[in-house]
Amino acid sequence: MKGTFQITGEYWQLMLRVFRKPEKWSIFWKQFWKESQKLIIGSLVLVFIISLAVGGVLCLQTANNLESPLIPKYYVGVMARESLVLEFCSTMVALILAGKMGSSISSEIGSMRITEQIDAMEIMGVNSANFLILPKITSATVFSPLMMLMSFIIGLIGGGVLIALTGIITLAQYIEGLQYAFNQWYIFYSMIKMSVFCFLITSVSAYYGYYAKGGSLGVGKSSTQAIVTICMLILIFDLILTKLLL
Amino acid sequence: MIEVKGLYKEFDGKMVLEDINIKFQPGECSLIIGASGSGKTVLLKNLVGLYEPTSGEILYGGSNFNNMKMEEKKQFRREMGMLFQESALFDFATVQENVMFPLDFFTDWSFEQKLERVNFCLRRVNLENVNNLYPNQISGGMQKRVGIARAIATNPKYLFCDEPNSGLDPTTSIVIDRLIQEITREYKITTVINTHDMNSVMEIGDHIGFIHKGRLVWEGNNKEIMDSDCQPLNDFVFANNLARQLKKNK
Repeated sequence: MKGTFQITGEYWQLMLRVFRKPEKWSIFWKQFWKESQKLIIGSLVLVFIISLAVGGVLCLQTANNLESPLIPKYYVGVMARESLVLEFCSTMVALILAGKMGSSISSEIGSMRITEQIDAMEIMGVNSANFLILPKITSATVFSPLMMLMSFIIGLIGGGVLIALTGIITLAQYIEGLQYAFNQWYIFYSMIKMSVFCFLITSVSAYYGYYAKGGSLGVGKSSTQAIVTICMLILIFDLILTKLLL
Repeated sequence: MIEVKGLYKEFDGKMVLEDINIKFQPGECSLIIGASGSGKTVLLKNLVGLYEPTSGEILYGGSNFNNMKMEEKKQFRREMGMLFQESALFDFATVQENVMFPLDFFTDWSFEQKLERVNFCLRRVNLENVNNLYPNQISGGMQKRVGIARAIATNPKYLFCDEPNSGLDPTTSIVIDRLIQEITREYKITTVINTHDMNSVMEIGDHIGFIHKGRLVWEGNNKEIMDSDCQPLNDFVFANNLARQLKKNK
């Protein structure tokens, strides 16, 4: 059983190999767009559906719990906006993506490891860590803030659709709430968080895949370990970033 | 030429290779044979630099591979080709992209020049009209041939094959063996093959090293192997009835 220090050491050693100048930029960019399509575009539908549903549910629950006549109705919009931007669109979406992206990356790289495809690259003189992992990390880190932004907008639309359908408050009250005491920094804060979380998702899952051992069972095990570790790290970094940025 | 001098390799205190001394000459098929678990794959992985020796030297044309710096090793590796036991073709790439992979990285050729080289290598291993197929769409024998084509794409000086016949029927095995031998002689490559297939030994064994319990206990060629008095080698070579009958009738 590997200790925490050994895992941390191996992880940083791998990252030193990953963050090197690519052998050829043309190959890197080709991989970068390929990975962007796979990791980001491939996750959009999932993020869209979840954000739409959560936006609606947040409005419904807030409206049901605001019974005091002293609290204005537009607070439903304020609560939905704040919940979405501060936690849901970055932390919750990242936890969901940890399952989707994380397992896909660790099993893909793990399978390549156990079928000696990574060894084949190394023998050719190709830096396999740089070729396989750098495009994944960079594409996810660069494009994930946009995904957070999309999740936020879709969440707000989800809330609006639910309000329009149920009439728990008026649409005008909801929109007033969305605009009330709005702090733009929260958007950037959430985008930064999402970027950091996606760095963790891609790099940690790649680490577990890269060092997978023991056949298909080993690949499954490394995939599970990757997701558990990523979820823990997301929660820890959520605390750290919130303390630092807010 | 590859020269191995006093090579030792241990894992977690267990010695897997002990005092290996052997030379591999260009233009020859050098076979490393031995029972499963004898240490032949570990030796091959030491030769290609996937493992670091515990002690000893591996000299490529007089240069010590393990003393080379990272960049030197990287440059040097471009002169190596390897055929893996399970072919190790990239799942994400077609046959053409697999063979073109090292050319993409290490040449500045145009796409047309690379394609010409890919088609030449594929023709050399008797494969045509498979460029756009993925590895899972072709047979095991074809995968091995694509693996050879990829290994020779950059004109390597050294070719390493890890059990090239595993999982293949005897007829396809002979085709693969002969192909490796032809390429070795044609391009004067130093070829090292790991195998426990006696058909390969008899077919292409220009130079054979027998490893037993981590030690090199016999060296010779396919003509000498039948008359050896090395007991562990005889136990290995004449393990089946057919081989014993052949020796008896000789």
